[in-house]
Amino acid sequence: MGRGYIVEDTVERYLSKLCEQAGPVTGLLIGQSSAQRDFVVMAIRTPQSEESTAGNSVDKELVSEHARQVSRMLPGGLSVLGVFIITDTDVKDTLTTLRQLVFAVENLISSERLWNPADDEVTDSVMLHVNTKTRKTVCRTFDVKDPKSTAKPADWKYQSGVCSSWATVSCCLNVNLLVPLPHDKTSAENMAECLKEGLKVWAHQIESGVCLIDGKKLPEDSELIAGQRRNVRQMFTAQLLITSKDQRLPDVVQLCGGSVSVRGAIHSRAFLHSNKPKAKLAEKLLKRDVVSTVASRVQMLLEEENQSGDKQQTEQLCLPRRVFCPVKVNGPVCVCDYQFSDEGLAEVIDRLKEMLDIDAAEEDLDTRQEMTAEVTESSDTAEPAVELAEASEPKKNNYIGVAMATAVALLATAASMLYLSDA
Amino acid sequence: MVVVDSDSEIILRVKGPLELKCQLDTSDAQLMQKVISRTFESLRSQVKSESCVLAVCDSPVFIWPNRGALATPEEITPNAPCEDLQQWIQTDDQDSAGKRSAKKKSKRSSSASVINLGLMMEVTQPGPLSAPILSKTVQKSHFLTTTLPMDCVVCTSCGDAIKDACERLLEALTHQLCDMEKVTLQHMRGPTVLVPEVLHFLLPEPKGLVTVVYPAGVSDSQLEAQRKELHQQFELPDDRPYFRRANAYHFPNEPYKDGYLRNPHVVLTHPTLDNGKVYLVQGIYSYHHYMQDRMDDNGWGCAYRSLQTICSWFQQQGYVERSVPTHKEIQQALVDVGDKQTSFVGSCQWIGSIEVQAVLNQLLGITSKIMFVSQGSELASKGRELANHFLTEGTPIMIGGGVLAHTILGVTWSETTGQIRYLILDPHYTGAEDLQLITDKGWCGWKGPDFWDQTAYYNLCLPQKPKVI
Repeated sequence: MGRGYIVEDTVERYLSKLCEQAGPVTGLLIGQSSAQRDFVVMAIRTPQSEESTAGNSVDKELVSEHARQVSRMLPGGLSVLGVFIITDTDVKDTLTTLRQLVFAVENLISSERLWNPADDEVTDSVMLHVNTKTRKTVCRTFDVKDPKSTAKPADWKYQSGVCSSWATVSCCLNVNLLVPLPHDKTSAENMAECLKEGLKVWAHQIESGVCLIDGKKLPEDSELIAGQRRNVRQMFTAQLLITSKDQRLPDVVQLCGGSVSVRGAIHSRAFLHSNKPKAKLAEKLLKRDVVSTVASRVQMLLEEENQSGDKQQTEQLCLPRRVFCPVKVNGPVCVCDYQFSDEGLAEVIDRLKEMLDIDAAEEDLDTRQEMTAEVTESSDTAEPAVELAEASEPKKNNYIGVAMATAVALLATAASMLYLSDA
Repeated sequence: MVVVDSDSEIILRVKGPLELKCQLDTSDAQLMQKVISRTFESLRSQVKSESCVLAVCDSPVFIWPNRGALATPEEITPNAPCEDLQQWIQTDDQDSAGKRSAKKKSKRSSSASVINLGLMMEVTQPGPLSAPILSKTVQKSHFLTTTLPMDCVVCTSCGDAIKDACERLLEALTHQLCDMEKVTLQHMRGPTVLVPEVLHFLLPEPKGLVTVVYPAGVSDSQLEAQRKELHQQFELPDDRPYFRRANAYHFPNEPYKDGYLRNPHVVLTHPTLDNGKVYLVQGIYSYHHYMQDRMDDNGWGCAYRSLQTICSWFQQQGYVERSVPTHKEIQQALVDVGDKQTSFVGSCQWIGSIEVQAVLNQLLGITSKIMFVSQGSELASKGRELANHFLTEGTPIMIGGGVLAHTILGVTWSETTGQIRYLILDPHYTGAEDLQLITDKGWCGWKGPDFWDQTAYYNLCLPQKPKVI
């Protein structure tokens, strides 16, 4: 009994166009898995590197790295489901390579994740082989949890409007982390290590937190979209309530070499398939997005930091802000990118093209969900930080008036949408 | 135990950890105090902010106390009475399978009901807001990380509005943070910082439940000055403890971790005699009996078990800190005082009231009076002495005679007719901690004078309360 992949029509057109290119093309398949079936929303070719070997060998490192970067650009609910290859070589000859590729991609992506998949989750990755000579497509899946798994046949069916009535759950969340730096080592790696540890603890708090959807705590197995609203696009706002970790360390006071804090807000979003999604799925996907977006940004900042080589004693760095871009299919699905404070939207558009092969214009981008962080002069480094500080701290925020107005507008919109869906 | 008008009082208890984290320079004590005070101030603002949420345990109810008691589900309004919250709480013995409705009626117990709430923080809010900033401070210093175990109690009546109860809970939380700040700063010694701990004590009416913050890890013996202050503040007599850790109030719905039954006699109906008055043990004891603690002492250990019951009383009233002694420890104590040979330890030998007295003295520092009756029939005439004992000392009595030992927990005695009944706790029970069974079958029950062997002699050990706080 193989898996069934329901694929957007636009993917077929995209793959056909790639068939006309010379040489083999490899790329990624993006979508969402569910217990019964899987949905593919996008296909993205892996960009050629300058030193790409002419010819037919598949560059596993290149594709894996592409997958790692693309994963950061996918909001909750979307993930790299597998790979495709468009080649004139027969599938039998490429199966081993493709199998290795599928595993390499999955291993790299999962090594960066701060959360672990649940036991009941789908662990199959898909491989799609398109033969340019015969135009035949072969679809196989591998269970990436089992290193010895063999290829299983799977169905690949094109359809229109696969994600046209997918639901969106989102929230804006305050982050307030404070971690000590070790006393005896002050290198950059140590800061990265400490932050990673701190993020793990915070991720656990988020994961065990209470999730309210549209103001209510829904029973886990209840359907998110009750009744006849199946074909209407739904947007839900989530609230997350957390408790501090009850840790009784034997040494209340420890030596440290300083501290590092991450404070500000992020916008989190997750998409859910429209096949009777449950409240607990919404909660799980949103929480994962919350954790991923913060972890990715911290990671990106540290990667930039290491390259700049400037090791000041005490400094403040802005995390990039999240910008969303709709995917050109019918539906609410978006991808995202992170814009650093010294970048313009042109850089975002370039990355969207290079990494996701999306042609976007500035007006397509949604930059209203987060505001660029600004470092202010008056930061008091001796000030004690507290987890979950009250959100209305004005010192970082020059746009309070705009924020308030926007907040009111958003609330009004959300309220009117609720009214509409209750009608 | 708690004597409360069961239909009108509700205890609201909010618990939750609050993280206390800050970077400190421990070389400068004054600066350290300032930083810690500032951190506490942030925590107070946090608790008073709109992000603070009270979650009603075992229910889908969440209340924002600083937003006018806004709550979810929306059926709960700020002016609704507190008792409405109880309908949403799911208790264990309800069938939750297959039922879609979230509303469930909860069973009322005979004492004041407790509604447990958890302290949570909402981390989401309407956006957009600015993206995060990473701040790095490189400076060799210290870092303080601990968790404050917030635990506040508010007694209110069923009909009080949820909004008002929340305001009081908020006040209690803020006040507790101040108390914790005081305790933390008071007990700071250089780089050592003690964590506060919270205990509730039930004082005699009308004072009711009182919350005290102590420094964790500091023993009761070192906190006598604080207790003196508290005794003065609450105008309590200074000859018996009220504020030792062992005196902490045990909430009705919390199970005891050790699994022993407490005060099984309270579920009994006391006998009515002409002009009879009931004189009972005062305070809390645990029921110790044969076969407990995987110790098979069936047939010989009854006096040991009675002694354990008495020791549990002294521990739970706060007179001693040591735990209830095992059979071996009891036997060793008797060897240590020279009453028995070393071969006694590990044996299955019986002990009597004199040995009980000796062990209480040796292990707990408690003195006891011995009462002797030459035949069981005389016990019927000891009403006055026994009544007096329960009035002035209120400790359980061990009675040994013939080959049996029992514990007397009280008497019902009529001064005019001389009629008497004895409340007996029987250590010969070998079953499980089943309150229903124990009381139904009379393992804890009222007995008449014919309970005693009328011709055997009996020794009674009457432990005396020390006059300390």
